[in-house]
Amino acid sequence: MNKKTLLIYILVILFLIIVTSLFSLTHGLLEISIIDAVKILLRKVSYVDNTVLVIKYIRFPRIVVSCIAGSGLAASGCVFQSILKNPLADSFTLGISAGSVFGVAVALISGIEFSSVGFLTIPIFAFLGAMISVLIVYFIGIYKDFNSNKMILSGVFVNYIFSSIVILMFILSPINNVQFAFGWLIGSLSQFDEKLIPYIAFIVLLGIIILSLLGNIINVLSLDESKIKTLGINVEKNVKFFFIITSFITATTVSLCGIIGFIGFLIPNMVKKIVGNNNQILIPSCAFTGAFFLLLSDTLSRIIFTSILIPVGVITNIIGGFFFLFLQFFRSKKNIL
Amino acid sequence: MIYVKNISINYSNKKILNNVSFRVIHKDFFGIIGKNGAGKSTLLKILCNITKSYFGNVFINNRNIRSFSNKNFAKIISFLPQYIDTTLSLTTYEFILLGRYVYMNMFKIPSNDDHVVVKKVMNFLNIADFSSKKINVLSIGEKQKVLIAQVMVQDTDIIILDEPTSHLDIGAQNDILKILKYLTEKHNKTIIVSLHDLNAAGEFCNRLILIDNGSICNYGTPEKVLIQKDIEKIYNTTLIVEKNPISNKPYVILINKSNKKS
Repeated sequence: MNKKTLLIYILVILFLIIVTSLFSLTHGLLEISIIDAVKILLRKVSYVDNTVLVIKYIRFPRIVVSCIAGSGLAASGCVFQSILKNPLADSFTLGISAGSVFGVAVALISGIEFSSVGFLTIPIFAFLGAMISVLIVYFIGIYKDFNSNKMILSGVFVNYIFSSIVILMFILSPINNVQFAFGWLIGSLSQFDEKLIPYIAFIVLLGIIILSLLGNIINVLSLDESKIKTLGINVEKNVKFFFIITSFITATTVSLCGIIGFIGFLIPNMVKKIVGNNNQILIPSCAFTGAFFLLLSDTLSRIIFTSILIPVGVITNIIGGFFFLFLQFFRSKKNIL
Repeated sequence: MIYVKNISINYSNKKILNNVSFRVIHKDFFGIIGKNGAGKSTLLKILCNITKSYFGNVFINNRNIRSFSNKNFAKIISFLPQYIDTTLSLTTYEFILLGRYVYMNMFKIPSNDDHVVVKKVMNFLNIADFSSKKINVLSIGEKQKVLIAQVMVQDTDIIILDEPTSHLDIGAQNDILKILKYLTEKHNKTIIVSLHDLNAAGEFCNRLILIDNGSICNYGTPEKVLIQKDIEKIYNTTLIVEKNPISNKPYVILINKSNKKS
């Protein structure tokens, strides 16, 4: 795929994002016309009523958060799959998301707050939790000899361990709210802190730009081990660098909306089939597609179940799961996808 | 140019290479032969600085290879491993361009020079036509040429290849070896190659080493290395070694004793 085709692909996805956003703004328990919604967003109304409140404080932030989280998770999944040369790798299967939620749970339950940057306490703890998972999974993965399967298998168990610890912590703590813990563990777009949005949007966007710019390094890392070593690259240093950047993106998105599964795994595998494996093109394509997928999933969850709150993770898991099973009918013999 | 001095390496208490020493001179087409598991690939990985836990030393132009940085080493030696994953959905052009990695800027964005080199090499190897084709849909022969192109664009004085002709038909084998020979003769490259095909080794290489159980058995010109009794003993088979009437190089003919005329 050349740059022109990439531009067309991104423009198509961008168009879908805009259409879905408009649909999402106007539909739900309260039906609002597109003109009113756009006027409210452009601050062209002087009154304050339910419509204004719903658009400004519920639906619009939710759209922004789903785009940030979807793009961040898909881009980091794409990088993990390339550097570990394994289509199953993503921040969920590597246990990094669960580590982040563990960090979030520690911050929430202990009530610790950094005085100068109080509202950033949760993302900071999420990142620390993510780094605990990364350290465990990375060192098990490289122990004796590097093996990405070993890394992913350890990630799956780290995921179970941290998820269970988080549930235990919420049950035993004064919060004593399993429902709340469940929201973090399955991913929800209805319990985020609005103050965090601009900061996390900045981090995720910056992360995606860095990853896309360094796409050629990721391309080289996706070649065979013995080949990479003779191309003049410092493999270990670069792999660690990309682990830190992607963990940072994962941790910040998790601190907004919990663990949203399948996006980091499914989107890169799907987009690869359309745009190929060149990470300079693949990473931005995944980011846009991930944003669209999560936005669509959230919109569907709100439209289909208007009267009850369905965590978006439930929808992404169902769509993603069925889509993966469906893909099995079209896969080639050699590949698992 | 390359001096391999007393190399030994063990894996799980098994000696893979035992006190191996030899020299490779500039513009050499140097072949390494020996049966499966003889230690050929391990030796090549040591020469490429991939395997580092060995005893002994390897010098390139009198400098120990352990003292090179990854980047500087990649400007001297390029390597084509025996197995390489070509299932990536990259175009042939994108894949070959990765061979220029060491020359790219901080963000590893290819320069005009990089593109010029890749186009030149692709034209030379007659693969320019499928530059936009995905590498995973190419035939084995085409893929091998693409892999060689990736090695060539790295523009190093020494090129090391681990069994570059395995799985190829004799026509494609001949093509690849002719390209390598051309690189030594016209571009002053030094080629070190491990081969299974003794006839190809005898025909194309200037000098050979025959390895058995991690030690060098014979070392020198093909005539000195392809000795009937040694080859029969090492490969545990019956054969005769004759002279190719056209090139005067030694070639090996396998004999199935049950077909012997009475």
